[in-house]
Amino acid sequence: MNVIEAALLIAGKDLRIEARTREVTVSTGLFAVLVVILTSLAFYVDDATARLIAPGVLWIAIAFSGVLAIGRAWAREREHDAMRGLLLAPAPRASIFLGKSIGTLAFLGVVEAALVPLVAMLFHVDLGPALPLLVPVLGLGTLGFVLTGTLFGAMTVQTRSRDLMLSVVLFPLVSPALLAGVVATREILGGGPLDEILAWMRILGAFDLVVGACGWFLFGPLVRD
Amino acid sequence: MDFERVEARGLVKMYGPTRALSGVDLDLESGRVTVVEGPNGSGKSTLMALLSLLSRPTRGTLRFGPHDAESHPEALRRHIGVLSHASMLYPDLTGIEGLRFTARLHGVPAADATLAQLRARFDIGAFGDRPTRTYSRGQLQRVAIARALVHRPRLLLLDEPSTGLDAASVDRLVAAVREEKARGAIVALVTHDAALSSCLADATVTLARGRVVTPSGTEVRA
Repeated sequence: MNVIEAALLIAGKDLRIEARTREVTVSTGLFAVLVVILTSLAFYVDDATARLIAPGVLWIAIAFSGVLAIGRAWAREREHDAMRGLLLAPAPRASIFLGKSIGTLAFLGVVEAALVPLVAMLFHVDLGPALPLLVPVLGLGTLGFVLTGTLFGAMTVQTRSRDLMLSVVLFPLVSPALLAGVVATREILGGGPLDEILAWMRILGAFDLVVGACGWFLFGPLVRD
Repeated sequence: MDFERVEARGLVKMYGPTRALSGVDLDLESGRVTVVEGPNGSGKSTLMALLSLLSRPTRGTLRFGPHDAESHPEALRRHIGVLSHASMLYPDLTGIEGLRFTARLHGVPAADATLAQLRARFDIGAFGDRPTRTYSRGQLQRVAIARALVHRPRLLLLDEPSTGLDAASVDRLVAAVREEKARGAIVALVTHDAALSSCLADATVTLARGRVVTPSGTEVRA
């Protein structure tokens, strides 16, 4: 079985479980919505200022709910030592990294599909003209976040204080993607120049490539012992 | 990439400064059950991790027939089945879904036919279509045995497989191991269960502090 087939099989397994339990999407979705609503109440400001705050609120909600989603996705592999079952399979280790990433990306995609309209509504953002650029920026930023989180989430499967470990390790490493994502979103919502937005998207793309390559090659050694 | 024997020579495994195995030699052969005994901390689980290719030895060699474990780990894993006290099944998938997932991950051809055979062999009735989180310990173990055998492994590693099982479930486990042995499987069993050991062992290896304290392949007298 090649890497792609095995990855799709693992991702399909995660999606099947999620379709049955809705555990990850509901818990992370509610958490993200709560962050957005509380922030909108705390910053009760005029329309122009609200639009300036919106990118930060959106990415904070994505980052916090993303950590939760990654932790929950790996927690499933901890129950009944299921992770060992994956590692015993004759599939390349990279397929586990890729499959878990695809699954978590799908979970966060669902959460973001609800989150973005909510942020637009509460922070008075006209979403229509922003969407063509906002969607790829969110996609690239979330991909980088998920790839990094999946790589280091695997390390925490057998670790005590795993949620603390994941947060402590993940946020410093993923900060380039978060910073680029926030700035690109700010420029998109603020009507910034296209060249600048594309430059931030290239940074996000480069980050994704580097993290993806690291995950591809390092996942096996990281989970070996 | 099939094989008839597994040969370990001078296996050393270090976890930082801690030496879990100190030069273990072991021979496992087709159609024989080798029981690995020893007190807690003697290195049994570490040895099983090395044999299942989940871990690499710090020093020493591990050969599966003519194949070196370092050279072909993925291909060799296709021929290794593991059963332990943890089922390795997903609680929110049904037993049959879990078996199908494992079969496909191991590249089992005609997976549905194989699953039907396993279902009959291990008496996995209607409960097989319920999520495994609803299973009794005995039902879970039946599906876990089927999971370990779904790809007809040449090397079957059993790590404390009888923990928490009632007498009927242990009997079912013994019957399954005997069938696999008759098929020509190489079986290694780690257990503290003297009764299970005595009714299955063709040979016994005792570990203490990471060393073999009886010669590999000591024959068990009936």
